[in-house]
Amino acid sequence: MIVEILEALFLILTFVMTAYLIRHYVFTLSVLNHTSKRKKAAVTTKKEAYQPPVSILIPAHNEERVIGRILQGMTKLTYPKDKMQVIVIDDASTDDTGETAEGYAKSCNYIKVIHRNHGEGGKGKASALNAGLKQAEGEIIFCFDADYYPQRDIIEKLVAEFTDPKVGAVQGRVTVLNEPQNVVTRLVALERIGGYRVDQQARDSLGLISQFGGTVGGFRRGLLVSLDGWDGSILAEDTDLTFRVYLAGYKIRYINEAECYEEAVENWSDYWKQRYRWAKGHMQCAFRHSLKVLKSSNLRLREKLDGLLLLNVYFMPVLVLLSWIVGVPLFFFHHPQWFSIFWTLIPISLYSFVGNFAPFFEVGIGAYLDGRTRAYWLIPLLIFTFLYNIPICTKALADLFISKILGKNCNHWDKTVHNGNSYIIN
Amino acid sequence: MKMVLNPNPMTFIMLILGVSTFILIMLLPAFLELKKPRDAGPRTIMDNIIAIPRLPVIMEKEKLVLDQVLYQKMTEILAVLPNLEA
Repeated sequence: MIVEILEALFLILTFVMTAYLIRHYVFTLSVLNHTSKRKKAAVTTKKEAYQPPVSILIPAHNEERVIGRILQGMTKLTYPKDKMQVIVIDDASTDDTGETAEGYAKSCNYIKVIHRNHGEGGKGKASALNAGLKQAEGEIIFCFDADYYPQRDIIEKLVAEFTDPKVGAVQGRVTVLNEPQNVVTRLVALERIGGYRVDQQARDSLGLISQFGGTVGGFRRGLLVSLDGWDGSILAEDTDLTFRVYLAGYKIRYINEAECYEEAVENWSDYWKQRYRWAKGHMQCAFRHSLKVLKSSNLRLREKLDGLLLLNVYFMPVLVLLSWIVGVPLFFFHHPQWFSIFWTLIPISLYSFVGNFAPFFEVGIGAYLDGRTRAYWLIPLLIFTFLYNIPICTKALADLFISKILGKNCNHWDKTVHNGNSYIIN
Repeated sequence: MKMVLNPNPMTFIMLILGVSTFILIMLLPAFLELKKPRDAGPRTIMDNIIAIPRLPVIMEKEKLVLDQVLYQKMTEILAVLPNLEA
């Protein structure tokens, strides 16, 4: 009886993993197809005349090493300054973040600083962004993290998409700035290439769920206000907002040409903290939105399917661990009766050669399309980040269940430290 | 059908050697690239207006110092010019 249950479980796990590997291939092929089509098509200039007033929110908690850099970037934006408002939310910083921002605010009248003390601030990014939203006057609300450095014409590129009334939000591309620093930053850069250049681009091209990544993106002010802004009770406030936008009947567009630099985590400890927060937040979103996505009349079948895969993506490392636990004893002690060894070997070999490498192909194609010459030599090392994600996601899930059972709030925001290492800009 | 494990030491040695060689071959390019990076990364974001030059971040104070140094060099060059005419 136990063996039959294990077999059934193993089959379900194999089915789920196969669904994700098909997704990887569909995305990769879609991006390759999209890119070749774009090369053939004439480049059309977007509705550049559309320049509504915009507000840019920059939440900052102890970001003295990087806040000057992003504000310097803001002063270099080509968007008309009389239509632009930059709001720095100094979120209970104990360093010189506020002073540095004030220095810029004195010389640029479109930069404003909100100082939040320890009583009201320091409760996480969502809370800081909501404080900024109250002061924002623009029609479109953008948000950038303090460690980012935007492309000069990024606002024009992003804002152009709002000429379509169905578009509720936009997302630009994130590029790792400190990539050459060490092996961690190099691997994060590869993950970002796969995530944005291929994943996000494919979802946008295929009319699926483009994800707002929490930064380098913007919303219609009216929509954001009607959705009550960012939800501080969830760790992945960006994913939560993504699904609330889609459930409200709007779309999110991903603009690959609108690029912004970010500072990637520099060591494995910070990588753990960041991914743990993302995993836990994503899982919270999965529990909150999965059923709503299935029931929604605003979403097409393909969007529902992609939405479910996106919401549950951080469960995958846990499921892989589970499949190992279930699969190994099954393999050694009980071969399935319904397959001869020969017929079992074919799908196993096929999966080993093609399936396991699906995410790596995705990253490789992204690096190739970016014109990277040697970055993909590092792709085999991504197996270590994948293995590292197994305990991260398993702990996140376990902590989520424990906090549910105990009824405790588990939303501790572990802030990523940014050192302001620059390799290209200015 | 149950699989019976045959504890043959040679099989284990071959298995360990095979797996180790496979892992080494798989990771070798990565180690080479890490030891001597030849990739042109990080990716340079190109503006439609002007490409961002490869220079370190200059803070306001440093910029002033840089400007003064530049000014001094320019003055030195200009001071030499009349002598060249003579």
